[in-house]
Amino acid sequence: MMICPERRRKGRTISLAAITGCLALAGVIALAVPLDWASAFGDLAFGPELRIGQADRNPSSPFLRIAPNGRLYAAWTESDPNAPSAPKVTADPSHKKHWMITFDMRVVLLASSADGGVVWTAPRRVNSATEAVQGEENEPRIAFTPDGKAFVVWSVPSEKGDKSRANVRFAMEEGRGGFTPSRTLNEIKDTARFPILERSPDNTFLTAWIDRRVDSPASRAVYMSRIGPNGQEVSPSYKVAEDICDCCRLELAFTDKGRTVFLVNRQVTAEQIRNHVLRKSTDGGVTFGAPVTISDDGWQTVCPHSGPAMALDHRGYIHVTWFTMGRSLAEAGVYYSVSRDGGRSFAPRRLVHANTAPEILHTRLAVGSDGTVHLAWDNLDGAGKAQVFVRSMASDGTTFSPIQQISRARENARRPVLALSDRELHVAWTESEGETSWVVMRTAPLKK
Amino acid sequence: MKQRSRIADGPAGIWFLGLAMLVWGVIEPCVAPAVSWAQHGPHAGQPAGVAVGQPAVAFHLKTLEGDAIALDTFRGRPLVINFFASWCDPCREEMPVIKELAAKGARGGYSVVGIAVEDGRAAVTQYASEARLSFPIALDSSSAVKRAYRIFGPPATFFIDAQGTIRDAVIGPITAERARLAMQRAGALR
Repeated sequence: MMICPERRRKGRTISLAAITGCLALAGVIALAVPLDWASAFGDLAFGPELRIGQADRNPSSPFLRIAPNGRLYAAWTESDPNAPSAPKVTADPSHKKHWMITFDMRVVLLASSADGGVVWTAPRRVNSATEAVQGEENEPRIAFTPDGKAFVVWSVPSEKGDKSRANVRFAMEEGRGGFTPSRTLNEIKDTARFPILERSPDNTFLTAWIDRRVDSPASRAVYMSRIGPNGQEVSPSYKVAEDICDCCRLELAFTDKGRTVFLVNRQVTAEQIRNHVLRKSTDGGVTFGAPVTISDDGWQTVCPHSGPAMALDHRGYIHVTWFTMGRSLAEAGVYYSVSRDGGRSFAPRRLVHANTAPEILHTRLAVGSDGTVHLAWDNLDGAGKAQVFVRSMASDGTTFSPIQQISRARENARRPVLALSDRELHVAWTESEGETSWVVMRTAPLKK
Repeated sequence: MKQRSRIADGPAGIWFLGLAMLVWGVIEPCVAPAVSWAQHGPHAGQPAGVAVGQPAVAFHLKTLEGDAIALDTFRGRPLVINFFASWCDPCREEMPVIKELAAKGARGGYSVVGIAVEDGRAAVTQYASEARLSFPIALDSSSAVKRAYRIFGPPATFFIDAQGTIRDAVIGPITAERARLAMQRAGALR
């Protein structure tokens, strides 16, 4: 095909312009690289999946924490090998049906790893009794004395098996490889669940739970108890908050050498609006101020068993993540906000991940020593399976990493938990297929 | 000079394109996360929602006793599907209403089935015994049916007519009064 010289020159000019444009674009992209998360901070390269617990005992409901000596600890629940594993069904002419009841007896287990979760110690049983240890949002919680002794709290249903009328148990390492006998922290029977436990900088421990001792059908209260440094002295429980959602996990955080304590929870108004709030104590957790709304989401529905998560950074910023259905389905998702003024106010919420379908999501976060915020949550993938996702936010408070899906569950991967050291981010979750479950953990090195 | 003028007055569009690419190069890194969020946005790639007037979504589950149970099992008579969990307070509070519906089902020519979601067999079995639930209870261990009915969580109750069409749905706890209205809509109360 013949091309006239003029057209050829024109073609060269066009090519030159296009190449120039592309080079300019490349230059701009190169200049823009510092804005890009991957180049500036590095993608989190998660290692292979590790399974925690004994496979044939349906491990679930993990909790991770780094001990003062740097060891990674995991607590989780498993079926009690000494308890019957499945209910039996028998016909009963007096009723249409009658079941021979067998509770789902489970144990709390604790193990640790010195190499970031590759090699674990043999799991140690924490709870002394055969009991129906609760899981999911009620996962066991661990905190450590400065010399690394583990304190553990967990929840068990009432004797009738009612999970909503439960009790909070506590045990601690007794120094010879075992644990002290379990003791119940709530003085009033069958009124406490969703326990949390944190060590204050003053080396005492605060435990809090959702309490229904006033058994109205309305909202619940938060009760706290202080546990002494050696675990022996436990204060009488006392009320610190009212009008809270009766099934959404709490979180505590300390600053100011333990004099300032923050509590986050889902609050319920008289109009049944369920926003997340923060309460502040300036007397070490004895009394708390009025709740500060973190975000006016306007969620007005029943309890989702999904609570907020909170962490403080070295600047005293309070980072919070939560799930809400908002005022409409289109708003539903995982959100994040931060308070830079000690909890007096919060920045407008930022969407971390919108719901991909109607589903209650669960979210956690951890904050690094450099102020980087790491978030993990569950959401449905394109095939309608629950998976675990992560993303991070730089300490500038604006630069988000892309969303990474880190589970490949064939059915469900739910309720991720995080542990963060200076070197690694660990994420664990419960995976399930049918009635079988197991605990998965993945670890990503942090880019320096 | 000649070439410069040609560039200026010839393929101005190409330069404009180059400039546009340059501008996009600056903007794109800033908007990229928003784009990726949009791809993960609400209901992306999901089937249309379950709604009143639509056919009920078929399900195939096992009862607590291990028997197969499916939507088709109840074809030809109105059906009430109650999604619940043993750990769910509102479910426990509304359960007397569901039990009453179930008790009248045989006489009323309709059925009630409970679908336990996000729960374990032992806990549901124990709860069913404690609450003396006499209607069939299926275990949706994978949450597949719950997701197919597009509910966030329990409780939720669907009222399906004899032809298999959803005639009413109550997301959240149900009252006796609301249940009566829903039953009328499903053709179960005459």
